[in-house]
Amino acid sequence: MFYISIFFQYMSQYVKTKLQYRTDLLVEFLSDLMFQGVNLIFILVVFGHTQLLNGWTRDEIIFIYGFFLVPFALFAAFFNIWDFNERYIVRGEMDRVLTRPVHSLFQIVLERMELESLLGGITGLIVMGYAASRLHLSFHWYDVILFVLFVLGGTFVYAGIFISLASISFWSDARSSIMPMMYNIGNYGRYPVDIYNRVIRYVLTWILPFAFVGVYPSAYFLRKTEWYTYSFLTPVMGIVCFTLSVLLWNAGVKRYRGAGN
Amino acid sequence: MYAIEVEKLRKEFKSYSSRSGLAGAFRDLFTRNYKIIRAVDDISFTVKQGEMVGYIGENGAGKSTTIKMLTGILTPTSGRVVVNGMNPHKERERFVQTIGVVFGQRSQLWWDIAVQESFRLLKKVYRVSDQDYNEHMDHVIETLDIGPLLDKPVRKLSLGQRMRCELAAALIHNPPLLFLDEPTIGLDVLVKLKIRQFLKEINEKYNTTILLTTHDMTDIEALCERVIMLDEGKIIYDGSLQRLKQNWGEGKQIHFQFRDIVSKEELMLLVDATWEQGEDRYSWIAHVRATDMAHVIGKVVSSYELKDIHIREVSTEEIIRNIYEEGIHHG
Amino acid sequence: MGKYIEMIRMRFLMMLAYRTNYYSGIFIYSINIGAYYFLWSAIYGGQPSIQGMTVEQMTTYVAIAWMARAFYFNNIDREIAMEIREGKVAIELIRPYNYLVMKTMQGLGEGIFRLLFFSLPGMIIVTFVFSLQFTANVHTWGYFALSTMFSFIINSQLNLIAGMVTFFTLNGEGLLRAKRFVIDLFSGLILPISFYPEWAQHVMHYLPFQAISYIPSMIFTESFTGDAVMKGMMFQAVWCVVLIVPIYVLWKAAKRKLIIQGG
Repeated sequence: MFYISIFFQYMSQYVKTKLQYRTDLLVEFLSDLMFQGVNLIFILVVFGHTQLLNGWTRDEIIFIYGFFLVPFALFAAFFNIWDFNERYIVRGEMDRVLTRPVHSLFQIVLERMELESLLGGITGLIVMGYAASRLHLSFHWYDVILFVLFVLGGTFVYAGIFISLASISFWSDARSSIMPMMYNIGNYGRYPVDIYNRVIRYVLTWILPFAFVGVYPSAYFLRKTEWYTYSFLTPVMGIVCFTLSVLLWNAGVKRYRGAGN
Repeated sequence: MYAIEVEKLRKEFKSYSSRSGLAGAFRDLFTRNYKIIRAVDDISFTVKQGEMVGYIGENGAGKSTTIKMLTGILTPTSGRVVVNGMNPHKERERFVQTIGVVFGQRSQLWWDIAVQESFRLLKKVYRVSDQDYNEHMDHVIETLDIGPLLDKPVRKLSLGQRMRCELAAALIHNPPLLFLDEPTIGLDVLVKLKIRQFLKEINEKYNTTILLTTHDMTDIEALCERVIMLDEGKIIYDGSLQRLKQNWGEGKQIHFQFRDIVSKEELMLLVDATWEQGEDRYSWIAHVRATDMAHVIGKVVSSYELKDIHIREVSTEEIIRNIYEEGIHHG
Repeated sequence: MGKYIEMIRMRFLMMLAYRTNYYSGIFIYSINIGAYYFLWSAIYGGQPSIQGMTVEQMTTYVAIAWMARAFYFNNIDREIAMEIREGKVAIELIRPYNYLVMKTMQGLGEGIFRLLFFSLPGMIIVTFVFSLQFTANVHTWGYFALSTMFSFIINSQLNLIAGMVTFFTLNGEGLLRAKRFVIDLFSGLILPISFYPEWAQHVMHYLPFQAISYIPSMIFTESFTGDAVMKGMMFQAVWCVVLIVPIYVLWKAAKRKLIIQGG
């Protein structure tokens, strides 16, 4: 309850701040849209030269991409702490965070939230809708619940991975380029994992489980029954990933060295 | 009941030194030279509720590290630390509810939004009731004279204005213990006076314990009866400021302004004291013990013609500097 | 000249200091190239060639495009934007070197470091795992090296321009992000230009972006042969020269603005 009220308090603060920089907001929307466009163009151009991607059609791939955008938007809005090391460790902002009576990760999530990224989720829904109508997909009432569960699962998978990476900063003082690269790897979860060889498929499923953000949950809505087990694992993977990352974070905070030492 | 109890507290950092040159850098890739640095070296002290303590030392003496361990930011390497009856880093979230922290060089407030918005958010974060908030903060805002600043964004405030707001922000939950790390750094005299006045007031009113680090000895003189002095991670003095002054600062400085140019040699021959040149060759300063004062003045006055003479106490600043330069032992 | 070489050396040493980067970088680069390898293999399916490129050429294209990227890629646009925002450029102006050249040299130091510590070991690992097609033709390697040098120059020039433009706009971050997407898409890093529809290819021919990744990668995979190699490198050389004009103009304007506003 306390955490929810804090959340809304921060959110109102956030909106007030953002409204002061309205042009920034517009530019951010546009660059987000471009980011989504780049990937869509890739898919469209590629399918100008081929009919099937290992048995998956163009519209199926587009559907997966549309689905991916929704958890990704949620992740980007709340857990996008790629600059944690620079901002909190190097500049010592972590000191301030640690002197307040709220869980440190929760505070950072609140301070770094970027609600405008949620718009990407709407783009995702539109892309999915477009692909679904071309594929003549039909949905049950409970698919909505599953959709929410899968989206949350995917969001927490992403969040877990990035929180874990941020936690590394507590051990290593080196500035790391892992974060930006991780976005690239995250992209591979958007394609059917059966195009990759065993090693990469294993990595994308169990080590950096990005496949649970795109292809696995989408397979359920595309009625690919052979993937159902993985589809239904999505929320579980989300919980596991997130829990592990928070434990890692808590261990990291104990190791925190402070700035300027 | 102590506000702060520290026993054999130690904090070690691992640091690596890099080898020089390109070849050295390559070697560093694979093996590094590690060195353990002991920033805080087995210190022990206690602070009673309601005390105002100055925590002083040179840069790198371990002040900040201690404060960070006391506030739960850093985990100690070894030793016992109990603050407000709790172990700071173990029960961090519950513990920080009972302290207020001001870092002079780092803002607690949100940069882009009005000060009162930050206050409102912090009020929520610290779960302060409306009634408590109004009762307590109205007074704080009035005393610090920040009422007119509340609707301005922090980035538009001057350093002095911001600092007063920071102080108010740290007191929103009316903590029984306040940590101030360089609270007056870079501020002008008037703001400094106002802040000191305010700190005294809350100390009297709420019996708030205050631990203060500063480079400005006038802060310490104005506020603290007790000082803890740190050097290379160890406590080298813990006691009243009064005693520190008596033991190491009993000397006086006598400034002589001569009518003619006088050389150091002549003066040395005249009286055996430490002579130091003033602004020009006409002025000299004698460092003497209080008991020798009359003797020295008598000698000089009888031998030379003087334009001016005045006597000055050794300032705390100078005492501290002397202690760091010469060590504490000869006192 | 000595001071600029010192800059390269300094940046190289700085990069060397971050050793976690060094270990994780290779791993991530390999995964990156690997994933694209499989993606493209799947795209080709059974087709022997698309747009005149075989699947071997395509996967090699992807691998070399990423390897070259490690060399030409740098963050000097962000650094310039940040130094402008924090008012550090004013200090840089009184130093006895050319600020823009200095930034480029820092980028070069970074590039050389990544080439040696990310790309080469990463490439060795990748060639063991996947079947890539490296030419034995010495000339191709030579042309490729030269062409990649041009890539570096053009990419750095575009970064300088973008960095300086942030000085005149309110939102620098958005602009830099947009620039990055444009370069990812139109440089040929993720898609060879020849895959785009006819009309798009036509438009891109009037833009400098394909000089960054498409041309050197096509040279390396020998998808460009004979005349096409020379034409590609001419295209790069021309843009190198042309881009000096906006840089010069922007720098003049920026300096004037700096002097008036004091940073």
